Amino acid sequence: MAEREKSDQKEDMERAPSRIDAVPEERLIRALMNTFPEAITGFTKLRDGFVRAKLDRRELFKVCKFLRDELGFEHFSMISAVEYDDRFEIVYHITSYQNKLLIELITRTPKDDPSVDSVASIWGGANWQERESYDLMGIRFNGHPNLERILLPKDYTFHPLRKDFKG
Amino acid sequence: MAEMWINMGPQHPMTHGLWNLRVKVDGETIVDAQPEVGYLHRGIEKLCEGKTYPQIIPLADRLCYGSSLTWSHLYCMAVEDLMKVEVPERAEYIRVLTIEMQRIVSHLMWLAAYAGDLGLGVGFVYTMREREVFLDLFQSLTGARITYNFPRIGGVAHDLPQNFERDTLRAITFFEGRLKEYEDLFEGSKIFMMRNVGVGILKKEDAINLGVTGPSLRASGVTYDLRKDLPYSVYEEMDFRVATHKDCDCYARYRVRMDEMWESCQIMKQALKKMPEGKWRIVAPRNAPVGTGLARVEDPRGEGMIYIVGDGSDKPYRVKIRSPIFVTVSAAPKMLIGYKLADVVAIMGGLDMCIGETDR
Repeated sequence: MAEREKSDQKEDMERAPSRIDAVPEERLIRALMNTFPEAITGFTKLRDGFVRAKLDRRELFKVCKFLRDELGFEHFSMISAVEYDDRFEIVYHITSYQNKLLIELITRTPKDDPSVDSVASIWGGANWQERESYDLMGIRFNGHPNLERILLPKDYTFHPLRKDFKG
Repeated sequence: MAEMWINMGPQHPMTHGLWNLRVKVDGETIVDAQPEVGYLHRGIEKLCEGKTYPQIIPLADRLCYGSSLTWSHLYCMAVEDLMKVEVPERAEYIRVLTIEMQRIVSHLMWLAAYAGDLGLGVGFVYTMREREVFLDLFQSLTGARITYNFPRIGGVAHDLPQNFERDTLRAITFFEGRLKEYEDLFEGSKIFMMRNVGVGILKKEDAINLGVTGPSLRASGVTYDLRKDLPYSVYEEMDFRVATHKDCDCYARYRVRMDEMWESCQIMKQALKKMPEGKWRIVAPRNAPVGTGLARVEDPRGEGMIYIVGDGSDKPYRVKIRSPIFVTVSAAPKMLIGYKLADVVAIMGGLDMCIGETDR
């Protein structure tokens, strides 16, 4: 009897961490923190099923590959480039259909070198969206298969969403 | 036979808007395809940076002439997320009622154009006629028939007019009968079926990888609908089925949209039944705080998203709009290669293109 109680207790103890694992946001944050302890900083849970993370731009490709292959983020939703006074911020929204999660990855580039690694080889859906960010904001995506203007004419010389562009 | 490039567009009856599809053919068979967009680029994201928050609502309507209300609703949701504004419950129900009505109107316009593309002229006239019923309802509600300017930051512009509930229920009953007639009309047509079944196959893995969303994704066997999986507004209270199909072809895409129209009718009935009394709008602040706001909805064409950055003033610092069709079009070569030139019309028509939102 005593043994049985002991084993019950043991089972309870084993179950305790898996209860945290049952919360998908916690599991996602923990997996990322364990694999990329230095690249990713500043996790925020914005609302249910929506996590924000900031990361170093040099690690972007590795983190994205890990997100798709290991954590089931199979849908690339959106890429937004935002210009600030001292930097560009590139914001990725990536969805997991299975776990019903959305992650917002924020990465920064300096003003004089607006470039990040392309993720078009991970998600085909990123291909045109990266071209759009290049076209309108002038962000260069290293390793993109065909980084050309998409919405504006090919001989256009401006990136109109930059703040110094006055129509 | 020598291979050659053919330009279908920018002026071509298939395009439904202004875009160009370059196809490389070997005889009749397509061996390569390149969609080209940008002919309708108006710079809406840049225009937004020069307007105050409420001034953008009519501009968001102009993103897509087929389903303008879903876009102004999406924009208002993004600003509410940025300003942390709570919308009154009655307003949420009115919004759900109107966006589902908009979904039916949008799908009917797609069905009309699609029927016209495939040579069913009678299908075009019937579906456009039924669309009028709902446009009349929109006119009694908002005063406009295409671009409504109805949602507001913190609610909707005004309450439902007198007898609106009675008229809507009458329209739904009428339309549900007509929906069955369409199915007989289209699926009884041998030509329609021959041009649809087994044409334009987009496999599940390709659809997911290429970022295809909405009815085209669900027609490839993925059960994912933001209204069900990440519910916004009051969709949690609604009882409806997510329409899917596993055939991955043009017929599956047609079938999913037909089922969605039926489910939209059910959601509208529930919204009318459960709608509480109360306020339909609260006054939102003029200036937004420093921060970001994000909203995503299940547009009739797929996943629509707006990301807003506020800088404390009464104008947004940056507005980014995700257009579902912009991404879906980039997947077109996957569907086209290997089929005949005559199938292009069926495949591209089946995607429900809207160039207004693609080019922005």
